[in-house]
This record gives sequence, C-alpha cells and structure tokens, in this order.
Amino acid sequence: MNQIDYSVEPDVVQGSLSQRDINEAISKPLETKPTKLYYLALGISSTLLLIGAISLALTLYYGVGLWGINQPVGWAFDIVNFVFWVGIGHAGTLISAILFLFRQRWRTGIARFAEAMTIFAVMTAGLFPLIHTGRPWLDGYLFPVPNQHHLWINFTSPLIWDVFAVSTYLTVSFVFWYIGLIPDLATLRERTNSKVKKIIYSILSLGWRHSNRHWHHYEMIYLILAGFATPLVLSVHTIVSFDFAVSILPGWHTTIFPPYFVAGAVFSGFAMVQNVLIVIRKIFNLQNIITLDTLEKMNKVMLATGLMVGYAYGMEFFIAWYSGNPLESFVFLNRAFGNYAWAYWIMVSCNVIFTQLFWFKKIRRSIVPMFIIGVLVNIGMWFERFVIVVTTLSRDFLPTSWDYFVPTIYDIGILLGSFGLFFTLVILFIRTLPVVSITEVKSVLKTSQPVHH
Amino acid sequence: MDKKYWKFFDELKNPQKTKKLKQTEFSKETTSEFNVENLYGLSRRKFMALTAASLAFATTACKDYRDKGVIVPYNQKPENTLPGKANYYASTCTGCSNHCGLLIKTREGRPIKVDGNPEHPSNKGKICPIGQARILNLYHPERYKKYFAKRNNVWQEIDFAAFFSDFVLALNSAQQQGKEIAIISKPIYSPSFARILEDFQKKYPTAKIYTYEFLQPYPKDLAWENFYPGSEKFDYDLSQASLIVSFDSNFLATEGNFVQNIRSFVSNRNVNKLDNFNKFYAFESDLTLTGANADHRIPIHPNLHIPLLSSIINEILVKHEGKLLNKDLPLSLLKEKFSKFNLDALAKDNNLNYNLLQRLVYDLVQNQGKSAIITGDILPYDAHVLGFLLNEILNNSSNFKFKSKAIIAQSKLEDFLSLTNTIKNGNVGAVIVLSCNPVFHFPLDIGFKESLSKVPFVISLLESENETANYSTHIAPISHNFESWGDFFDGYSTYSLAQPVIEPIFSTYQMESIILYAVEGKMSNDNYHKYLMRYWEKEIYPKTNSAVAFEQFWFSVLHDGVLVLNESQLTKPKPDFSVVQKINIKSFEKTWTLSVRKPYFILDGEYLNNGWLLEIPHPISKVTWDNYIAISEKDANSLNLKTGDIVQIDYQNKFLEAPVFIIPGVAEHSLSIEAGFGRENAGIIGEKVGFNPMVLLSKGIEYNGYTLDNVKITKLHRTYKIASTVEHHSLNDTFLKDLHKSRGIIQEGTVEGFLKNKFEIHRHRDNISIIPEIKYTGVKWAMAIDLNKCIGCGACIASCNVENNVPVVGKDQVLRGREMHWIRIDTYFSGSPDNPEVSLQPMLCQHCDDAPCENVCPVVATNHSPDGLNQMVYNRCVGTRYCSNNCPYKVRRFNFYDFRNHFANGFFYRDTLKLLNNPEVTVRSRGVMEKCTFCIQRITEARHNALSEGRELKGSEVKTACQEACPAEAIIFGDMHDPNSEVSFWRNHKLGYYVFEELNIKPNVTYIAKLRNKKEEGLS
Repeated sequence: MNQIDYSVEPDVVQGSLSQRDINEAISKPLETKPTKLYYLALGISSTLLLIGAISLALTLYYGVGLWGINQPVGWAFDIVNFVFWVGIGHAGTLISAILFLFRQRWRTGIARFAEAMTIFAVMTAGLFPLIHTGRPWLDGYLFPVPNQHHLWINFTSPLIWDVFAVSTYLTVSFVFWYIGLIPDLATLRERTNSKVKKIIYSILSLGWRHSNRHWHHYEMIYLILAGFATPLVLSVHTIVSFDFAVSILPGWHTTIFPPYFVAGAVFSGFAMVQNVLIVIRKIFNLQNIITLDTLEKMNKVMLATGLMVGYAYGMEFFIAWYSGNPLESFVFLNRAFGNYAWAYWIMVSCNVIFTQLFWFKKIRRSIVPMFIIGVLVNIGMWFERFVIVVTTLSRDFLPTSWDYFVPTIYDIGILLGSFGLFFTLVILFIRTLPVVSITEVKSVLKTSQPVHH
Repeated sequence: MDKKYWKFFDELKNPQKTKKLKQTEFSKETTSEFNVENLYGLSRRKFMALTAASLAFATTACKDYRDKGVIVPYNQKPENTLPGKANYYASTCTGCSNHCGLLIKTREGRPIKVDGNPEHPSNKGKICPIGQARILNLYHPERYKKYFAKRNNVWQEIDFAAFFSDFVLALNSAQQQGKEIAIISKPIYSPSFARILEDFQKKYPTAKIYTYEFLQPYPKDLAWENFYPGSEKFDYDLSQASLIVSFDSNFLATEGNFVQNIRSFVSNRNVNKLDNFNKFYAFESDLTLTGANADHRIPIHPNLHIPLLSSIINEILVKHEGKLLNKDLPLSLLKEKFSKFNLDALAKDNNLNYNLLQRLVYDLVQNQGKSAIITGDILPYDAHVLGFLLNEILNNSSNFKFKSKAIIAQSKLEDFLSLTNTIKNGNVGAVIVLSCNPVFHFPLDIGFKESLSKVPFVISLLESENETANYSTHIAPISHNFESWGDFFDGYSTYSLAQPVIEPIFSTYQMESIILYAVEGKMSNDNYHKYLMRYWEKEIYPKTNSAVAFEQFWFSVLHDGVLVLNESQLTKPKPDFSVVQKINIKSFEKTWTLSVRKPYFILDGEYLNNGWLLEIPHPISKVTWDNYIAISEKDANSLNLKTGDIVQIDYQNKFLEAPVFIIPGVAEHSLSIEAGFGRENAGIIGEKVGFNPMVLLSKGIEYNGYTLDNVKITKLHRTYKIASTVEHHSLNDTFLKDLHKSRGIIQEGTVEGFLKNKFEIHRHRDNISIIPEIKYTGVKWAMAIDLNKCIGCGACIASCNVENNVPVVGKDQVLRGREMHWIRIDTYFSGSPDNPEVSLQPMLCQHCDDAPCENVCPVVATNHSPDGLNQMVYNRCVGTRYCSNNCPYKVRRFNFYDFRNHFANGFFYRDTLKLLNNPEVTVRSRGVMEKCTFCIQRITEARHNALSEGRELKGSEVKTACQEACPAEAIIFGDMHDPNSEVSFWRNHKLGYYVFEELNIKPNVTYIAKLRNKKEEGLS
C-alpha cells in the first residue's frame, strides 16, 4: 500500500474523472434496470418490514401486553429502538451541515446518502414514540392541538420536548436534503428520455435552470440551512437524553447524558453510513467518488467518538463512586456484574474494545475489517441503549419491585421491522434519486478548481 | 345628548313596527306553532324528522336487544333506597367457623363491598381477606343455576319439583328400609338450623349428622377436651398477654379466630405505651406470617416441639418452683414426668441459642398469668397437652376463652370411618352433602370417595362445582351467604344474624330452606325466614328479658346484626392432669417431615375459584396462583434443588409431586405445603392451580396432627414455573443483601434502644427546593402506617381490590410481572438465610407533594389536586408508562391488556360479574395507567355530604378501603392540616419516617418504624 502524505490533502475524487463521467456514474443506477441482486435485497428488507408490520398490527389489536415489558420495566425495545434510530439519524446532518461549515471537502461524496439515511432513520425512530403508547389511537394528545376541553400538553415532560425535537429535526433535515437535491434533479431532468420521469423531475426541480442567480441563491440558502441544522445535531440527542436525565432514577439521572448521547449518536450514525456506503460503492462502482480516504476519515471519526463514549462509560462509574450515593453505585455495579451483565459487556466490547483496532491504519483502510467493526459498533450502540433503559428500570429503588425483562417475539419482530423499514427506504432511494450529490462532487473535482500549472 | 341612530328608513319612520320586528326575531310559523302536518310536501323539517325517527327505529329495532325482564323504575322507588346512595346491612359471614359480623354495602340493590360489623364483639368491624373477596363468589358465573340429577350416568337438568320429589323419595326409601341417612356438613353454629336438623332427625330417625372442618385440628381439640373436660373449644384472648410463645402456630393468619387474634395481639404493640409492649417468641419449622411477626423467631424441627416444651416445663419446675403462682399443681408428679428433660442439653444437642431459651424461661416465669403458650394446629396430641399444661403451670388460663359445647357435636374422624363402613355394608340409603366437599377434604384411605357409589342417593346442596358433585346423584344449587338468612352462636354469648341483601340471583333456595321443606312438607320462598323468626321469638327473645315487642326486638337485632347476651360464660373447668401422665413423650428424632398447613387465602379450597384471592401474594413467598413445598436453603443445596424443581414426596407409599420453593428460615429437614390447592373440579379459575397434598394424609392425623414424619423426598428432573411477584435472591448474596436497610426503606429498632434514645430515625427535613413550594390550604390528605401493628395479613389488598375494581390478571401475567394490586405488602429478609429477620411494609402510592410521576407525563394525565392527592385522569392517559418508570416506589400499575377480557377468555365480562363493580370507580381500559387514589370516591362522597349539610369537611370522616379493612388498625388516614387528627400526630412522631426521604419528593405516607421487643433486663 502506498504511503500517504497526510500533510497534503488527498484528492477527494480519484481517477481523473471528467464532469461527464460523474454524471454518468451517479445517474447510472437511475437509468438502468435493476439487477436480480437489487430485487433480492428489496425482497429481504421488505420481508423484514412485513414481519414488523404484522407484529405491530397484532400489538395494536391486543395491546402492548404482547411485548415483554412489565411492571418496573415500562420501557424496553420500544424506547431502545427509538433512541437507536434517532442516533443513526445523527451522522447525516453532522456530515452535511457541520462538515459543510467546516469546509470539509471529503464530505461531498457521502453527504447526500448520509442525509437520506438521516431522514429514513428519523422516520423509523419517529414511529416508536407513537406506537409505544398504551393507547396509540390517542397519540394526538401528545401534540399541542387546541381543543374545546382546554386540555393542554405538559411542557415539563421531556417526552413533549422529544416530540418537538424530533419533528423539527425531521423537517429541517428533509428541507436541507431537498434543497441540495434541486440542482441534481435538474441534471436528471435534462438527461432522461422518459416522459413520465421528465414531468416528475421537472416538478421536483422547481424550475432550476443552472443560472448564475440560481446558484447564488442556492449557495446562500444551503449555508443558512447548514447553520440552522448544526445546533439541531447537538440538540436532538441532547433532548432525547433528557428523557432519562430529567427522571429521578439512579442510572438515568446524570448530567453526562447529553454529550454522551450525542457522541454515541454520531458514533453509531457513522458506523451505519460507513456500512451502507461500503456496499453501495461496490455495487454501483463509485469507488472513485466514495474513496477509501473518505472511509478512513469516517473510521477516524468513529474512533474519536468511540473514545468519547468509552470515556463516558468510565466517567459514569467514577461519578457513581465519587458521589457517594449508594443507589447510584449500586446501579453501575449492577450493570457490570448484575443480572444484565451480559448486555453490558457486549456494549463495552463492541463500542470501546473493538474500535481500538482503528488505531491501525491497515485496518482503517481495509474494507472487510472496517465493515465488521462498523456492524459491531451498531450492535454495541443498540445494547448501550438497552443497558441504559432496561437494566436501570429492572433494578431501581425498591428491591421488592425488581423484575427481569425478557423480550417476546413481538419485540423482536418490531425490531426487525424497523430495520426492514429503514433498509427498504434506503434501497428504494438508491434507485430513485442520485445517491451522491452530482453538483457537489463536480465542485470538488480537480478540474473544477482554479489551479496553478 | 341622546342621539338617535338608525339603520334603515323603516326604523326611522316607523319605529313601532321595527320594535315589534326586533322582539319577534323569528317569524311565527317557524317557532311556536310548528306542526309537521301543516308542512307541504317533504319539507326540510319533515325530512329531518323522518330521518331522526327512522334512525331511532333502526337503532332500537336492529340492536341485539335482550329483554331484561321487569324493569322497576325508581319513580316508585323501594323504601330507603336512593339511587347513588349506598345502603348498609348487617349480616354474618359464613366463610369459616369464626362467623364474623359483616356490614354489606349495597348500591341500587346489589352488594358491592363487604366490611366487618363494628358492633360484633369478636371481629369489631374487621374481616379477613377471604371475607372481603367472597363477594366475587356471589356473582360467580360458574355458580350452579339449575337442579341436576344423574340418570343412567348422564347429568340431566331437572326442575325443583322433580329434584324435591327425588329428595323425598330418597329419604323415605332410606327410612323404610331402615337405612341410614347421612348428613355431612361443615360445623353447625346456627341454633335455628340445628333445631331444624333435630326435627329432621325426628321425622327421619335414621338420619345422622356428621360435621367436619378442613384440616380440623383433631389432636388439639382432643387434647383440649381431655385436659379441660366440659369445654369443647376455645379461643385466645391476647389483649392481656404481655408474653406470647407459639409453637408452629399460625394464629395470626390461618388458625382459630385469627381476626380476633390479630386485634388482641397488636393491641399491645402500641409504641406510645412501651411499658405495655408485648413480647413474642415463635418456634416454628416453616416461616409463617405469625413467625415473621415474632420478636424472637427460632426455627426448629417439628419433632423438637415436644422435647422443647418438656424441657421448658422441667426447667421451670426445677429452677423456679418457688416463684410459681399456681398452687394447685401436682408438682411431684410433673417433676417426675419431666425430669429426664434438660433444656441445657437440648439446646446444645440441637444447636439452639441457650441464652435465648434461658431468657424465654425467665420471661415466662416473670409473666405468669400474663402470657400465652400457643400450640399450632398441625402439631400432634402430645404437644398440645404439653402446651396446655405449661399454660396451666404459668397460671395463664385467663388468656383463654372457654367455649361451651357445640350445638351439634363435631364428629371425629372415626365417625367418618364408621360411616364409610356402613356405606360399604349397604346400610346407608342417602347421603346429603350440605355445602361442603368431603370427597376432597378427607384423607383418601378413609375410602369415602369410593364408597359413595354404593349409596343410591347422594344429594349435594352446593353453590358451585366441586369434587363431591361428581360423586353425587343429585345437585341442588343453593344461595350464597348474601342471599340467605341465618343465625349463629359463637359459643360464648354472642348471637348474630345473617340477612339477604339481594334477591337470589339464580332463583336458588338456601340449604336451610330445602331441609326445612323436607321437615315441614311445605315450601315457600321465605319458609326459613319465618322459621328463623319463630325460633328467635321462642328461644332467644325470652332470654333477653327485653321490654320491647318481639317484632321491634327482631328488627333491632337485624339492624345491629348481632345480639350479645349477658349469659354466664363457661367458667374454666378444672384441668385433668392425668392426661399429662398418660402421654408418652418421644425423644427427638431428626427425620424428614412434611407439614400440611392451612392455606392463607383459599380456606378449604372452596375459594380456589376466586381469582382475587388466588392473586393475593402469599405473605411470605409472594407466590400467587400456586402452592409449593417450602424447603430451607441448606436442604435445597444438599439435595441440589432450586426453586421450581419438582420433587416427589413419598409418605407411607403415598406420593405427591410438587415443586419446591426455597424459603429462608425454614428449619432443616422440615418441609411444608399448604393444602386446599390442586383441586380437580374447581371451575375455570381453579383449574390446574397448585398441588394437592391431601393425597398424603391418612387416618393417623387424628392423633399425629398434620406433621407427616419420615417422608422421603426425591428430586425429579422436571421444573415448574411458580409465579411470584418479587424476585428472590439468596440471602448470601452480599451484593443484594440488606438493601432495604442500607437504603432506609425499612428502619427498625428495638424497644430498649428506643427507650434509651439509642435509636432515632434520622431525618433531614430542611425544605430545599429550587421551585416555589405549593401552598396547600384546607384539608390535605395523608396516611400513616404503623409497622409495629401491620402483621401483613393482606386484608388491605383484598379490600382495595373490591373497592377499586382491580382486575385479576392471571398466572401468566404475574409471571410477566404485571400484577395490578394498588397496595402490596413488601416482605424483606435480613440476616442469615437460616434464621432471617422479616420486615413487612405495605406499599401504595405515596401521593408525593413533588411527585416525580407528574412532571414527566406528557399529557398531564397525572396531576395534583388542591387537597394533596396525586390523581390519575384515565381518559387523558395515553399510556407512555413514563410515570411508572419515574416512580421510586413502583406503585403504578399499567393495563398492558384489557385484563378483564384477557384473563380466562373474558371471564370478568361474563354477565353476572358486571354487577360486581363498584359504580363509583371507573373500570379501566387497556393502555391506561392506574394506581392508588386514596379512595377518592370516598373522599368525594364525604365532601358531598359535608356540603349538603353545610359544614366543613373533616379529615376523620373519610376512611380508605385499606384502612377500614385493616384488622390491626395499622393504617391511619386523615387531614394532616388538622393538628388534632391522628394522622398529624403520627406524621410528627419520633418514629415516623418516609421512604426515600432524601429524594425530596415529599411523600405523604408516613411509616412508623417497627420496634422489636428484645428487652434484656432482669436476667443476669
């Protein structure tokens, strides 16, 4: 392998692609018939979705009693999945907004995809607060709808903050993503031969004519939206963490939760983006646009956030001891050595131990190991939420009310269904819209920049 | 200046017309004289009228309308009934032999709640959990509704006339053939019914009456009769006892008149009168609720009771002879009898705490006349004799109440043996079973079950299906207690009456009525009622020397439910010491034993069809819906057994397979199991509930009691799921040990420590808060629970269930941890697993001022009332369960399903059970959180009463259901702002503490720390 000179920024797009090559490469999946592999993937993901839908339908019919939740453990897979998917949804906006503001050019290859994943993940996540309630048909009560009874929501409840945080995040992410898509949709409009597609692209591209003025407005609104989305990256998971931090349960009631949750969210989000992109770049031959350098950078972010998460794990123990609160120290000892120790150690090994392999450049830059570590990180992060939600609830204040949570097939069905929903949306997306921003990639081409000869 | 404004010319020019127009805004024909007929064609209004009419027709005509028969409008309302107002009627409970007085609450003619009759001298307004929950059996959909006869081995439905003609035929044919008519019944305490049976015997001289009780303490009764000739039974009166020593007795929960025992036991557990604080030593093999309440609990092998009692007697006779107050003892005889027993050696041989035994002997001698030695129903004859003797030595007989002879003498087991023999010889023409279940209750080797096939007529008068019904030829449905008349004599001086509070729901007759019909030959709905009145007029009324006319007297007794006569009570008979002489005291052998005990909540198995009772957690193990073999941790380890492992018990070649449950504090080599479970015909609810240890019993119980010696225990390699409402951890697990103490959930001390100020509840009530404190004015509700008095009987749970329509969830849901009880009793163990200290704590919603559940609810479904209640708005609740997660006491309960529908295929939606619900309390749907409301419906009722009477509401006017039920009066409820209220006294008591006070959520339930009486003074 070549030695890389880190003092010089490597080319974001490799292989001396022309602008036309880029158009071709990115539009190809949209313009060709899907392969058998595509249908297979879609089949698998929609089967998972169907499993989830059936489990959910039964739950709606019979009640959340079908799940494994019990008296102390009022939340389990429902909220674990919610936090997990909101977390997955963090990488997208971070990549597209924060890295944009920091002028990280390597983001261009992955930003579009990451943003789309954000939207799909938040959509998936958003389902859970709605279906976890005992009477989902009354979910409207959770929204501030004026009514003749003068019933109003409780603004001191973090669940209400969640409603606002998640819906704002979804809206802003969607707008941001769509604005970024407009020039690409115009490009596709130009390229397509199909009449139907032409109409759809024409409508969606909102009359974009690549004019100078359009570009001027576009750049401005994109910057403003990036600035707008940036605090949301931090706020969403902060507020999700408030669900726990605002409560009084030992193990939940900690001030470290907001940064810890955000770091964890970025961590798992990057792992998910990395995982999916590895597959996409292989299948659609986008290795030159989504380069190994980009993947390596993502791995570095994962290493950094993984260390943050690891620090948080350690700090929680330290504070539990340092606070001198016996309830607090019990909870943490119980996590590590109690009835759910197995979950705790899955979490620690996946999130902290295995990611240390990214210190090695060789591993950072080889596809199979990084893919496996990415999968492990997502497993670890799911278990992190499981550990936080379930172990805390299962053994809290009164020893007489302790109980052990065991998931039922409906819990697992809905978990699978959430993956099914997410991947079905992803798979439909890759054949419907350009997975890489054509415009932005062109802008980082060597040839598009003024260079000295 | 008065300027005139006008809107149109008419107004200016013709003001009169305009004024008129304004007054009649709507023109005439559209309002007052509207008539459909006058409308032409299909006007809008006609169309609307037709639509409305057709809709009304459609909805009424097409509805699945069931004719509910005669509907009585309340415009001709029954006397004394006001819709929405409850009526209370005094009655008597026929659940067990204690016959507690009842006060039944009815709404619009249907009973919905039962409490004790405060006028009744023995239970004084309190009843046990069974008494509370029995109301379910009144509305039980599986009650017999029809008469049945077995013809050619097939059950056929018949009508009453056919049944009765068969009944008379059976009696007459038996009579003519000179064959016996056997009447089998529970013990009969009704003087009038006893008279009917007497008349019955006169008419049918071959009739014989057999009575029995489930797990009847034959040895105890026999020992009593022998030791105190002339008295048949007795009760304890612990109100004067400052020292109580029990030997394998569960007198606070299942044995004797336990409601009365609880009351008299806790009457001397008042932390404000510490000089008069009783002391309780319990020796027991299993950990019972009684033992859990002891100051000193000593686990001993069941076979050790006899040598221990003998050694104590010897120790007293030898060392303290001079101090004995009773001078009528045959000392030399006794000394000789017990000379071979030595307490010192016994303690050493059996690893008992010698100092503690010395302390016990000292205390016994010090408290002569003021102590009670209580021997358990499961013990053999000898142990009871020794117990009675020890009481006699210590001059304790004032703590006994001597019952006069029963109205109908109780049968011995031999009587049943001879009955089966007679049956087998073909000399019994008819067996009449009066609301009991002998097939299930008798030891199998009596052969009663098999013999029944030889009887031409087996006529069972039953409320609902049981095992005996299967072996009968005829079944007659009978009325429930609450549909029946009755009178009862308690053996001392109290007569009580039972009156129907509802018309028989299934048009049944009460059993007395049917027997009376056979005697008198004529039938009417109220034949027994009339008979009862006649009987009282002739027999009881004259005894009172009352000045009022009989009718007036009758109605006043009926109103009070109870009549206490000034009859001279039975004086103490002279003890017969020769009984002691005759017993042959065996020396101790440590063999494997199994004791068969009375169950806590299902009585004789009859209530195995009562979901409420099955779901009340076992007071010690918290197991619901099952029984099990209790085993010590040591034995379990040596046999390699875990909780839930099935074992086989082999006793004299009789076998029982049942799961074990490791219980701390069980003596080594001692197993025990509760009976009444494992019934074969107990309906939907009782199906496959528990294991039946009755298969092990044999004729020996009459002398040996219910402790089976020399059993063999074998591990079978199968397991069974036992539904316990708590997680059980080994007491050796240092990580989980004593958390209740380190977390301050249970705060306890000793009487001595408290007196010397060594024990004080740590409290830091600086009111620090970053949010402004909410000021409460007026009444603010609070509760105090005195842990010194609470014995953990569970009456509060049963009462709360009935009052608040708490659903039954079933075993599968308890296994999932979804029990719904609003109040529970938490049991904590501390110390070693061999002999733990048990702490009990009722736990319910603490109605915190700064309730953590309230601020997290997204829809304000749980909020705070101005009088300090944490309330639930069921309609608003979407069921996020966040409140429950954030509740440190975990007292919130979630409807994971519509449990009424989910449990046993909609069992609780079946017709009659709908009548059971308290109309004042919402029936919660699925997906809704619920919890204790401090009985807000009672608070509201009291407030309404106060309002309508134009006065301020006083805190003392409200009693919560748990408080009303608590036999120990451990629960105090009221207005904390009233400085004179009891609850504010306890809130500021030195021993009062809040659970998790450090969370600063300001709970409103004060717990009064338990003091254990371990006084040590006096003995050097």
